Amino acid sequence: MQPILKLENISKAFPGVKALDHVEFELFPGEVHALLGENGAGKSTLIKIMTGIYQPDSGQILLDGHPIKIGNSAQAQGYGIAAIYQEPLVFPDLNVAENIFIGHRVKGAFVDWRKMYREADDILARLGVSLDARSQARGLTLAQQQTVEIAKALSLNARVLIMDEPTASLSAHEVEQLFNLTRVLRERGVAILFISHRMDEIFEIADRVTVFRDGQQISSKPIAEITRDGVIQDMVGRKLESFFARNEHEQGELMLSVRNLGKRGIFSDINFDIHRGEVLGFAGLVGAGRTDVGLALFGVEPADSGEIILKGSQQQIRSPEQAQALGIAYVTEDRRQLGLTLPMSIAANISLPSLRKYLSAVGIIRRKAEQATAENYRQRLSIRTPSIWQEAGKLSGGNQQKVVLSKWLNTEPQLLILDEPTRGIDVGAKAEVHHIIDQLAGQGMGIMLISSDLPEVLAMSDRILVMREGQQMGIFNREEATQEVVINAAMGQSRSDVKV
Amino acid sequence: MPPSFKWDSLKRWETLLAVVLAVVVIFNISQSSVFLRVDNLVNLFMLHIEKIIVVLIMTLIIINGEIDLSVASVMGLGACVVANLYERGVSMEAAILVGLGVGALCGIINGFWVAYVRLPSLAVTLAGLIAYHGIAEMLVEDRSIGNFPDWFNQLGQKALIGPLPLSLVIFFILFIIFAAVLHFSAFGRYVFVIGNNREAARYSGVRVRQVKMMLYIMSGVIASLAGILFAARLGAVRASTAEGFELDIITVVLLGGVSIFGGKGTLAGVGLSIMLVLCLRNGMNLLSITGNTQSTVIGVLLIFSVLIPNLTQDFQGFWNRRRMIAK
Repeated sequence: MQPILKLENISKAFPGVKALDHVEFELFPGEVHALLGENGAGKSTLIKIMTGIYQPDSGQILLDGHPIKIGNSAQAQGYGIAAIYQEPLVFPDLNVAENIFIGHRVKGAFVDWRKMYREADDILARLGVSLDARSQARGLTLAQQQTVEIAKALSLNARVLIMDEPTASLSAHEVEQLFNLTRVLRERGVAILFISHRMDEIFEIADRVTVFRDGQQISSKPIAEITRDGVIQDMVGRKLESFFARNEHEQGELMLSVRNLGKRGIFSDINFDIHRGEVLGFAGLVGAGRTDVGLALFGVEPADSGEIILKGSQQQIRSPEQAQALGIAYVTEDRRQLGLTLPMSIAANISLPSLRKYLSAVGIIRRKAEQATAENYRQRLSIRTPSIWQEAGKLSGGNQQKVVLSKWLNTEPQLLILDEPTRGIDVGAKAEVHHIIDQLAGQGMGIMLISSDLPEVLAMSDRILVMREGQQMGIFNREEATQEVVINAAMGQSRSDVKV
Repeated sequence: MPPSFKWDSLKRWETLLAVVLAVVVIFNISQSSVFLRVDNLVNLFMLHIEKIIVVLIMTLIIINGEIDLSVASVMGLGACVVANLYERGVSMEAAILVGLGVGALCGIINGFWVAYVRLPSLAVTLAGLIAYHGIAEMLVEDRSIGNFPDWFNQLGQKALIGPLPLSLVIFFILFIIFAAVLHFSAFGRYVFVIGNNREAARYSGVRVRQVKMMLYIMSGVIASLAGILFAARLGAVRASTAEGFELDIITVVLLGGVSIFGGKGTLAGVGLSIMLVLCLRNGMNLLSITGNTQSTVIGVLLIFSVLIPNLTQDFQGFWNRRRMIAK
């Protein structure tokens, strides 16, 4: 049998990362093909190439054996490639039929409404769903909105349907309905690319499973030939040897206790302690709620239940200023948008959270002192720049990250929350950041290290808390935490299931 | 080299303004022998003194990434409150204090909606423009209130220090204070940081809401003060006092190189822009060009000199920020 869509030798690089490295991928008619991989394995890039959002650097795409070029998403639609996402893209003010036909049938001066509703009803009937084509999209549930998107794909005669974590926000019953729809489509000969982080779902629906790691295809097997452990081995089999080794140091007294912390609809029942000199790693998939816990502790998005006990006294943290006053610092994962004021100088960025320290008696900023601080951090963290008065926006990613670190270290925090501290920075700078983390812990700072880079979290943390879909899956000691244990927890298996 | 003070943009934009200003000044000198005389220069400033006082605070508000369209209405309201109270027999001193207080109140109302409720300042202060003007109309109706005490009328006209009347002294003092605050104080640094990226400022522990609130209160008080000075200069108050001034005020700020998207600008540039507009109007007076044509010329100048060179980079920043907000 010939594949509908075949990707041959596809490579795609971004500055500093090889997102896809000579990837081969095939989709056959009437199959549900699951794609698995850790954060950053290259799944999103692959989808974006298939839907025309990115262009590959090399390699070719074959449709029914003929090479094609997918220049944009309209062209992808023309080739019969459609995609639905975790958050459906429906227009809330249009009705179901209008949403189904938008962009390809609702055209021209006049619309034949009766015909449109008839066809919409027809498509919905073929999918076996009871949804009124005349009802407004605004009132639909997320699952119903996805159905509308699937109906839209069907109305476009889509032959390839990409489902990117479609079940992430659905209830168990809705997932079952979605799977029924998926099976209908499969029987009609549609090739389905299915992405999910829930292992159970993959075993329920997939016919074939392909695993990506670090931009490469690691394995691709029929469902009958794979086991959970085998898939997980394929996903994590990365070497740890290049990682920085933590220095041995004493763990101090209890600094922070978090009890039953929750925020409605985001995370719940989070419990952990951080001691002085301890690095507590936060592992999990993107969207598991780790950043949200960090933001709650820093007061950006305060929690609405539970307790935060800092050095023995309970605190209600309602704003970043307050968190800062309590000795908490938060290094954001979005350093360019939230961590820095890019058009301002390195010195001004470093002094910003602690500007009050630099004021003279009449309230003027003492630039000499500001400069001295910046020079100090420039040396300490080896920020490579011709001048500390240079715009922060002109620095490389790694040096920008060091500026963000400097700005927060300068507030002399006791608890440092690091959110993806090495994302998007080069290997050398990454090693330097790891060295800094180790030093800070050695000086007695408590560190909460949120990272999607599994080897990093394993190498840098004293203990690792794993989250999944807003839930705490467990806290593992350094000795028991292996890649397999952590990824198993992150993907929704309890510890007892793990056989390594 | 001071941060938040951009030398290269200073070189590009402020130098250009200075060159254009020099050309206009030379032209004016060639047209009139009295141009450089002190009384003419004082007169030059005094014709628009109330507006250029408000220009100073408007500069901070626009750099902060907001706008205050209600300033002219607050000017008018301040003047009307003072006139109304005085007419009812309240002492002029007390009336002025109440007038300033009403200005502060207008600022608090604007600031509340913008800073705490996070409504767009364009909409909030547009509503303010209409509402505050409406209150002024209720207070004064279609009358003209005058017969203020002599000392009050003289405030607006008589030379106080050397040849300088009170309002000009106030302008220069405020200019120095605002330059120091904007470019050398913590508050000014926060104004820039918030204007660049409100969320980044919040993530750095900056009290974004307090800064915005402070700016709007300052704007209300200063606008009201300017309105009262305007009443003193004219010797009479109508409900329409200062009507439409907000556009002239914003024009001067933007001509001074302040980015309408926030985060960028210097008070030096705005100072030059004030001089340029004043001298340009004076030069056109010398050529007997009338008011409407003058406004057209200044409008065209604004479009060609400010918007076009800044278009590319500003729009980039604007979209980046929009994308971030959308996320």
